[in-house]
Amino acid sequence: MPEKPLVKSSPSFFNNPRNRSLIYQFLLLIGLAYFFYGIVSNTLANMEARGIKSGYDFLSTTAGFDILMSLVPYDATHTYGRTFIVGLLNTILVSTIGIILSTIVGFLMGIAHFSHNWLIRKLAVAYIETFRNIPLLLQIFFWYFAVLAALPSARQSMSFGEMIFLNVRGLYFPGLIAESGAGIVYGAIAAAIAGIFILIRWAKNRQNETGQQFPVLSTSIGILLGLPLLALFVSGFPFIWDFPALKGFNFRGGITVIPELMALALALTIYTGAFIAEAVRAGIQAVPQGQREAARSLGLKESKIMKLIIVPQAMRVITPLLNSEYQSLVKNSTLATAIGYPDLFTVFVGTTLNQTGQAIEIVFMTMAVYFVINMSISFVMNRFNASVELAERN
Amino acid sequence: MKEFKPLPAQPAPNDTIGPIHWMKENLFSSPVNTIVTLAIIAFFATVIPPLVDWLFISANWVGNTQSACTNENGACWVFVIAWSKQFFYGSYPVEEIWRVNLCLIGLVAIIIASFKLNKDLRNKIAIPLFLLLPFISILFLDGSWIGLEYVSTDYWGGFTLNVLLAAASIIVAFPLSFLWALGRRSDMPFIRSVSIVLIEFFRGVPVLALFFMGSVMLPLFFPEGTNVDKLVRVWIVLTLFMSGYMAEVFRGGFQAVPKGQYEAADSLGLNFWQKTLLIILPQVIKISMPNILATFVMLFKNTTFLLIIGIFEMLSTTQTALTNSNWLGGHSTEGYLFVAVVFWICCFSMSMISNSIERKLDTSHKN
Repeated sequence: MPEKPLVKSSPSFFNNPRNRSLIYQFLLLIGLAYFFYGIVSNTLANMEARGIKSGYDFLSTTAGFDILMSLVPYDATHTYGRTFIVGLLNTILVSTIGIILSTIVGFLMGIAHFSHNWLIRKLAVAYIETFRNIPLLLQIFFWYFAVLAALPSARQSMSFGEMIFLNVRGLYFPGLIAESGAGIVYGAIAAAIAGIFILIRWAKNRQNETGQQFPVLSTSIGILLGLPLLALFVSGFPFIWDFPALKGFNFRGGITVIPELMALALALTIYTGAFIAEAVRAGIQAVPQGQREAARSLGLKESKIMKLIIVPQAMRVITPLLNSEYQSLVKNSTLATAIGYPDLFTVFVGTTLNQTGQAIEIVFMTMAVYFVINMSISFVMNRFNASVELAERN
Repeated sequence: MKEFKPLPAQPAPNDTIGPIHWMKENLFSSPVNTIVTLAIIAFFATVIPPLVDWLFISANWVGNTQSACTNENGACWVFVIAWSKQFFYGSYPVEEIWRVNLCLIGLVAIIIASFKLNKDLRNKIAIPLFLLLPFISILFLDGSWIGLEYVSTDYWGGFTLNVLLAAASIIVAFPLSFLWALGRRSDMPFIRSVSIVLIEFFRGVPVLALFFMGSVMLPLFFPEGTNVDKLVRVWIVLTLFMSGYMAEVFRGGFQAVPKGQYEAADSLGLNFWQKTLLIILPQVIKISMPNILATFVMLFKNTTFLLIIGIFEMLSTTQTALTNSNWLGGHSTEGYLFVAVVFWICCFSMSMISNSIERKLDTSHKN
């Protein structure tokens, strides 16, 4: 006859962790379902009361408003769907400029923090502490309303070698117009970039196997400049210069950078650059002092120590921080709407929403876009992070 | 036998001690460094004197109107002085400003009290008061419920609005984000996924999009006829936004608490909430304090974004002042400089506090 246990082996129904967690989750599910049911029914009722039709039909309706700047052909006869594309491209443009420039500024200032020169060290600290602690919107306003608005008018433009002009309406510089045969040059540029990737792989493999270093940087620059130049000569320079020139009250021709873009890119660069500089500083400080001392005792030059020993190890700390800084730069680019730079937010959530009243669809699309952009940044940075991560022996 | 007598020690060579040595080491250590140093000094020598002249010497300090700014070569601080009440309090009625000040003093007093009081008083008085403060402040600022003169939220504004909104948001975000962080660590899959979605949503979306959601979409979500005040909607949005970021801060804090603490609490027979609130939470808050402050600085700077949806916080008041028809003299530099200095002082001192806490907590012996 089996012995009866003195204590019941299983706890009572409500004290069983499994049952409890099921009950809690069920309660949450009911709560959420009720919440969403309330929201959806309220929204539908409200939309009906206000006469808003839901759906994405508005995307194919004519927009009827002009946009200050567009990377693809656009005028008032295009559709609302087109305004989405225009805004999206402008957002990507300012984000890309901001990410590239702020990385350069950030790394320079972060490394300057460890300079041998006291003045440079202090300047780097002053830069970081000043611009990190002032609201970004204020910085955008400062550049836009106080600095760029004080530039001379078109007739009194500042000119750099009669080719680049800067005035209150924007920055003008010469552009290139492609003629037939330009394809060879574009092909050469693509070939040069592909060649550099192959070179980097080869040099890395060779260094791993034989220990010999290869001057990758100078060779890459050589390839990048040489191949397109060669193609230019072979194809007989299939481009014409398009110089900006003063016609009437304004400059025509060339490439125009509108002041809104300048102010936004400048403010984003300086603001995010300060955060990246701080990340770089933290990363370099996280490398133990012993690494530097060991490198010195091996007889490496100071410049080589930074490049081969310190920065690769610091990148492990810096990369995750860079990831979040880039993402917040993209999110912060929505402040364009304060000065009227036609980014996705200004064009789509601003004007298009006002005209169509399709709040839910438009806000949803915009949020989805920022999610996708940030996910892509995250994906790229995580790939990069995996390559700089410490290869541990398991 | 000759006794060994050491020679008296020579003084150190002049160029290895004192300011000369310091300069040699830090400013002129190599030709490149020398050139850089001289270039920077030359730059400062050309920039600073005119700047000081514009800022202070030639600046216009006294007067009430634009016509008092007689010296064209100096800053017109009269503009800032004349608008200072607006910059700090918005259009809040002058005779009622004591209410705003009272709320600010209450905030500071409670923060100081929670550091100074002993544990018992802190748990029983300071923390409940801290959590109730936003609601008490609203009672006072609004006034209609407690027999004071009613001040509509349309008149609230200025720098004090930035401070109070940021404080009110972080206070409500504290318990909320703590719950989200707990949810994200939970073993229950549904609760965990709901928390992850919430946190990642509020972290991944631009705060401006959230504000637009608050002003355009939130009214659609409420039953027909309810009219939620604009400031309340902004407060909800800021709180949720802040909770997303703070939840991640708390998650880092949870991970930093040693596993032994959880096990010790379990072996004492504490239940889940006793364990979490009495053992883990105090340690989590201590560990995450520097990051909480950093997040708060971010939130505080982000309150300027409210300008875009038409709330009269400090920057927006400045914009209004700059376009006022009596002051169309192009005082934007002075105005922005003043706002920048005010924000800078607040943010910088908070990041200093956060650094000092971090240093106090850091017991490693690196370097």
